[in-house]
Amino acid sequence: MTVAIAARDLVKKFDDFTAVNGISFDIDEGECFAFLGPNGAGKTTTIKMVHCVSPITSGKVTVFGMRSSLENREIRRLTGVIPQEINLDSGLTVHENLMVFSRFFDIPKHEAKKRVEELLGFVELDNKKHSKIDELSTGMKRRLLIARALLNKPKLIMADEPTTGLDPQARHLIWQRLRLLKSQGTTLILTTQYMEEAEQLCDKLVIMNEGKILIQGSPRQLVADRIGREVVEIRIAKEEDEKLLALVSDSVCGHERAGDTLYFYCSDGRELMKKMIDLDLSNVLNRPATLEDVFLKLTGRSLTE
Amino acid sequence: MNLSYRIYYVFLRNLISYKRFILPTFAISLGQPLFYLLTFGIGMGAYMGYMGGKPYLEFLVPGVLASSVMLSATYECLYDTFVKMVHERLYDSLIATPVSVEDVVAGDIVWGAFRGLTSGVLMLVVAMFMGVHPASAGGVVILLALMVFVGVLFSSLSMIVTSFAPNFDFFNYYTELVITPMLFFSGVFFPLDKFPQWMKIFALFMPLTHAVNISRAAFSGESVPGLGLNFLVLLVLEVVAFVVGIKLMKRRLIS
Repeated sequence: MTVAIAARDLVKKFDDFTAVNGISFDIDEGECFAFLGPNGAGKTTTIKMVHCVSPITSGKVTVFGMRSSLENREIRRLTGVIPQEINLDSGLTVHENLMVFSRFFDIPKHEAKKRVEELLGFVELDNKKHSKIDELSTGMKRRLLIARALLNKPKLIMADEPTTGLDPQARHLIWQRLRLLKSQGTTLILTTQYMEEAEQLCDKLVIMNEGKILIQGSPRQLVADRIGREVVEIRIAKEEDEKLLALVSDSVCGHERAGDTLYFYCSDGRELMKKMIDLDLSNVLNRPATLEDVFLKLTGRSLTE
Repeated sequence: MNLSYRIYYVFLRNLISYKRFILPTFAISLGQPLFYLLTFGIGMGAYMGYMGGKPYLEFLVPGVLASSVMLSATYECLYDTFVKMVHERLYDSLIATPVSVEDVVAGDIVWGAFRGLTSGVLMLVVAMFMGVHPASAGGVVILLALMVFVGVLFSSLSMIVTSFAPNFDFFNYYTELVITPMLFFSGVFFPLDKFPQWMKIFALFMPLTHAVNISRAAFSGESVPGLGLNFLVLLVLEVVAFVVGIKLMKRRLIS
C-alpha cells in the first residue's frame, strides 16, 4: 500500500486557541479514513489544512507526495470536496452549477458537458437538470454536492459530514455512492458524528477530541479492544451501583455510569442477563457493542459544550 | 499575490448568473443617474442657462456619467459580494478548487468594474439621445477607458469596506458618509471654483473629482490644467485599493 496522505505533528492555532494540537496520521491510497469527534474536536480544521484552504501553523502534510500549503493549486486540482455546508451557487441552475464549476478545473467544455450528464445520472438528478437550487430538497442538494465534487475525477475525496440532516433513504443513497467510488480506487476522507456512518464506510478511523487524536484503528478492532463484544444497559438509581457491582463483578470486564444508566461491558452478556433476571431488575438491555460505545467512553457520555 | 488567469472563470460565473437579472439591474443602475439628468439637467437647467461656459445639461452629463459608474461598481462589491461571501458561502466553494482566494476577489472586482462599465455606456447612449456628445471618437475611447478605471477603483474600495462588514447595515456608513457626499464635492453638479480654498483641497482627496475632470475633458475636447495629475492620482489610488482590498478579503476568507 502506498501512503496517499501523511501528516506529522500538525498544529493549528487561532490566536490563542489551539484547534489542532500536534496530530500525526497516515492514509493509504484507496482506503476510506474517518475523523470522528464531537463538535469542535478539530476535524474540519484538519481536513482544511490537508486540502490547502487553511494555513498550517506548524508541522506538515503531504498529499500524493506534494506538500500542502495555500499556494498549492495542484492538490486542490486532484481533490473533490463535499462540504459540510451546502454552498451551491443559487444564482445558477443545477446544470449550470456543474458546468461553471468544471471551468474552475480547466475542464474543456465538450468534455465537461459529457461528464455533467454522467454525473447527473450517477446522483439521480437527471430530471432536475434545469431546476433552480431553491427548488431542490436537502437530499438532492447533498447529491448535487457529490456530483460537483466528482467533476475533476478526483484521486482524493474529502467528505465533511456528508449526510447531516438527511432522511434514511437519502443517507443510504449517499453511502452507496461513496462506497462505489471507493471500490473504483478513490481515496476517501470522511468526517462524521454518526458512528454508524463510520462503521458503514471506513477502513480506518481516528477519534479526535479537543484537537488531539485519542485512538486510531479499524472500527471492528477498536470496538473489540476498548469495549468487548457486548454491552448491557441498566437503568437504576445511582445508589444501587455498589451493591449491584459486587454481585456481578465476575461476569463483566468493565462498567461506566452516565446519567441514569449503568453500562456493563462484557464478552458474553448471557450470564449477566441471567443474574439480572434473578435479581428481578427491569429496564435491562443486552446488545452488541458498537463504535458509539467506544466514542462515548473516550469523549465522555455527557455533553461537553 | 497568488493571481492567475482563473480570474476570468470567476468573471464568467458572474456573467452566467447575471443574465437572468439583466433587465432589472439595468433599471436599477440607470435609475438614479437618469433621475439626476432629468431633474437637474432639464428641469433645473431651464432656469440656470449656462454653467461653466456651456448649457447646464452639457455640464452635468460628464459628471453624472462618472458617478453612475461609481455607484454601480460600489453597490456590486458591497451588497452582491457580501451575499456571495456570507449568505451563500460561494467563495468557500470556489477556493476549494484550483482558483485561489486572490483570483476570487480579483474576479469580483473585475466584475464590479464591468457592471460599472455597462451603466456608464448606457448613460452615454442616453446622453447622446439627449444631444450631448463626446468631442470626438478619441473622446469616446478615453471615456470607455475611464469607466473601466473608475469601476476597478470603486470596486476595490468597496471590497475594503466589505472585508470589515459584519452585516448589511454596516454599508450605510460607507454609502451615506462617503459615497453620497462624494457626489456633491466632486464637481458633478456645479464647478468647484467658487468653493473656499479648504473645500477645494478637500475635493482633491475625492477620487471622483479626478474622474469627473477627465470625463469633462473627453466631452469638451479641451485640455484642462491638471489632467495629468488626475490620471496619476487615479492610477495610484487604484493600485493601492486593489492590493489592499484583496489582502483584507483574504484575511477574512482564510483562517
